[in-house]
Amino acid sequence: MLAQVRSWWRALTGQSRLAGEMASEMDSHMERYAADLVTSGVEPEEARRRARIEFGSTAAAAEECREAVGLRWPDEFARDLRYAARVLRKSPTFTAAGVVTLALCIGANTAIFSVVDAVLLRPLPYPHPERLFSVARHFQGKGAESYQTNLWGGVWEAARDNAAYVDAAVFSDGSMGVNFVAGGRVEYVKQQRVSAGFFRVLGITPLIGREFSADEDRQGGPAVTVLSYALWKRVFRADPAIVGKAVTLRGEPYTVVGVLPANFQSIVPAELWTPLRASRSGEGAGSNYAVVARLRSGTTWAQANGQIEAIGTPLLREYGQDPSTQHLLLISFQRGLTEYVRQPLLILWAAVGLVLLIGCVNIAGLLLARAAGRTREMATRLALGGGRAALIRQMLAESVVLGLCGGATGATLGWLGVKALKALMPGSMNVWQAVELDWRVLAATACASIAAGILFGLYPALAASRLEIRAALSEAGRGVAGGRNPWPRRLLVASEVALGVVLLVGAGLLIRTFAHLRGLDPGFDAHNVITAQLSLQDARYATSQSVNRLYEQSLARMRELPGVDSAAVALSLPYERALNTGFQRLDGPHVDTESQITNLFYITPEYFRVLRIPVLRGRVFTVADSSTAAPSAVVSEAFVKMYMPGDDALGRHLDLGGGDRREIVGVVGDVQQKSGWGDGRPLAAMPDIYIPAAQTDDKSFQGVHVWFSPGWIVRSSGPAEGVIAGMQRALESVDPRLPFAGFHSMDDVRYRALAQERFQAVLLGSLAGLALLLAAVGIYGLIANSVAERTRELGIRLALGASVAQAVQSVALPGVVLALAGVVVGSVLAGFATQMLRHLVWGVRPGDPLTFAAVGLVLLGVAAAASFLPALRITRLNPAETLRQE
Amino acid sequence: MGKQVDILQGTLDMLILKAVSLGPLHGYGILLRIQQVSKDALQIPQGSLYPALYRLEHRGWIAAEWGESENKRKAKYYRLTATGRRQLKTERQEWKRLAVAIGDVLAAEPREV
Repeated sequence: MLAQVRSWWRALTGQSRLAGEMASEMDSHMERYAADLVTSGVEPEEARRRARIEFGSTAAAAEECREAVGLRWPDEFARDLRYAARVLRKSPTFTAAGVVTLALCIGANTAIFSVVDAVLLRPLPYPHPERLFSVARHFQGKGAESYQTNLWGGVWEAARDNAAYVDAAVFSDGSMGVNFVAGGRVEYVKQQRVSAGFFRVLGITPLIGREFSADEDRQGGPAVTVLSYALWKRVFRADPAIVGKAVTLRGEPYTVVGVLPANFQSIVPAELWTPLRASRSGEGAGSNYAVVARLRSGTTWAQANGQIEAIGTPLLREYGQDPSTQHLLLISFQRGLTEYVRQPLLILWAAVGLVLLIGCVNIAGLLLARAAGRTREMATRLALGGGRAALIRQMLAESVVLGLCGGATGATLGWLGVKALKALMPGSMNVWQAVELDWRVLAATACASIAAGILFGLYPALAASRLEIRAALSEAGRGVAGGRNPWPRRLLVASEVALGVVLLVGAGLLIRTFAHLRGLDPGFDAHNVITAQLSLQDARYATSQSVNRLYEQSLARMRELPGVDSAAVALSLPYERALNTGFQRLDGPHVDTESQITNLFYITPEYFRVLRIPVLRGRVFTVADSSTAAPSAVVSEAFVKMYMPGDDALGRHLDLGGGDRREIVGVVGDVQQKSGWGDGRPLAAMPDIYIPAAQTDDKSFQGVHVWFSPGWIVRSSGPAEGVIAGMQRALESVDPRLPFAGFHSMDDVRYRALAQERFQAVLLGSLAGLALLLAAVGIYGLIANSVAERTRELGIRLALGASVAQAVQSVALPGVVLALAGVVVGSVLAGFATQMLRHLVWGVRPGDPLTFAAVGLVLLGVAAAASFLPALRITRLNPAETLRQE
Repeated sequence: MGKQVDILQGTLDMLILKAVSLGPLHGYGILLRIQQVSKDALQIPQGSLYPALYRLEHRGWIAAEWGESENKRKAKYYRLTATGRRQLKTERQEWKRLAVAIGDVLAAEPREV
């Protein structure tokens, strides 16, 4: 048995060798026989002739030999494919339509799948990723559930001390830019803070040196850092004696203890790591940590999870969470890292799958139409004894070949699509693995192509092979009124329209969301404003005095630059996520003692003038609001509306915690910001408190600069050229060791703020456009085909006195009616499907009647055009000629 | 040339196995040996020899090797394998039983029936 399989495999893989051997064996047989004949006295010429005749057909013998070694099935397969290729070549229009349709659909699938694969499917690039987990909070509210991986210091300590089934480490989710000075270079590099054992848990061994020890990961421990391979090569030219050398980080000396291997892929963009020094106080008092855990060998998820859950219940209560709706658990580390993009990506994936389905429906329709023209071929083959199974196999081969051609073209389109996606993606999601067309993606594309070929080919093949041979042969394609059942094709077209409605409504809602967010009044004038951020998480800027001196001197120099109108510094920029903090109102109506949440900015005096944020009441800060002046605050209108409705606000007092009490001296207009809290909408006019940078104390500066890189904001009177270089020079003249992270116009900042919404709207919009196009092509094909089939009938009708208008109507109407049916069914489906978009839609309801109506009208309009265009061919019909044509 | 007999379906395999059991042979050699041993009584249709050889090789009863023939040309030589030898033995017994049975039938007198 094994020998047979081996011999079969050898024959299959060595086809040309096999053929050569057979030919030479048979040739030498004939030669020997001829030679023997010559010996017995036959003329050489005659001997050769006789040898050939007596041997018989070598081709037949060779085929029998191939069959004998089990090559019958592969031979037939190859024959089917060759025949399929010939058939497809002979009908180039059909083939081109099919290949283009598939190429578009499969190209879109390839591109989206490459992202889905990189983010959600491909295992994390660490050893045994299936044993890595995130400690997460699971919320289960009314109908909604979600996972959050940000945790408090206390939760980390409990997991570290009491969860014996896992090896856990804690890290700060995200990376911050810091100032890095070494080897005569000043750079702004991305830094991530991680605990001792973080790399051990991931399964990464440093290339040189070691990772942080528990002693270094303690408050007040030695200042040490681990470098990425790239940074080590770039700055230290891969110095093998790097361990123990000092670098200046955040203005302080740090000792390098290790370098990570070249192939290490970080979960956030980072080039160096410092100890996190997690605690229960400070940042650890908030949910600012993430915990990664590796199952210890021999333990199961269930055991470890049980332990985590038991630890969590009392802790969550301690942190003011409701244990009835929330509990701790272990989710896969990858899931924990990707939770926030999971749903949008899955929706995109579903959408792109839907487009492929529509494409398949379209091609199935084309195949059905073509089958009508091939009835005689099929009937002849059946009559000549070809089995039905062989016929079906043959037609499936055709559609699989078509699928593969479309798939190959689609892979090329997908390659372009991946490039386009990469341009769209930055800022919309954190991708730690390269998005690329690798073998995984190509294999998926190939599978999708073959599956699509079978999907759209199976029904038409089954239908076409179910023939009444005699009727088909005698009918001779001269039916007066079509004759074939039009319903399968009509159903296909209607379902295509229905699926199109679902996609268009989804895209419409996301586009309206994007338009809504983009259309929000920014609250300031972004024109001619340049911003640049830098890290002040730096030992040299630990005091309010040093920070404010930097601000005053650098801003003064920037204001002197030609073309610069005004300049200011703020803790964070509009359209970005701002610091949020608790506060308490001290006076005014309805004062309650509970702490409330607000966004907080420190700013330099010219801030509102630079951004042209309107001052509604009272005053804004001046240089007179110095550290010695009375503590003052300015609030936004949204703040007043939310916390002091109906109150004038001026003269009221606020407590910002830690004894920081301030009087409200002014109210300004609202500014759009990324909302880190509240109802989760991406952009909103949040309640804001502004305080003067001059009145911010040392401790506050040190605290907020860990998380935020303050932004210099400069308004120029004209184009930005020269201003950027000038800002750079101005900063250097004040402190040559402070690097700006980069310069952006305020318009760029705004553009980046909506990256994810833009990504979703553009992608789903393109997919819906494709679906609309496919539906239009499907309807057009159906009607054009029916005009062609009914030419004779229509000719008779016209000859008998029907008007052209009547004829056009009778042909085109089914298209519009089918589209109407599709729109009705599709709207119902879309009603359900849009529930999935609930959390992604803003400024518009998921059931938005305007979107539904617009989609319905667009589809009906397109359907009407696609129906009447081919039907108008009837107007050029000459009845007399049509009837003469036989 | 004496009178020629057509080969029974299924016996060709056995004849080939027997022919190569005496020593490795190429295709034409097998043909000659069968004709020679049967004193030209058995005539094998040349075209069906090779499918049979490939079938037997595929089943692992004979093995083929490229070697040099008497006139210095490359030729494919077939030899019997161990499983082939067993197969030949079974087939020979089968054949004997069949021959005996047929002989019995043909020798039957009317009263015995």
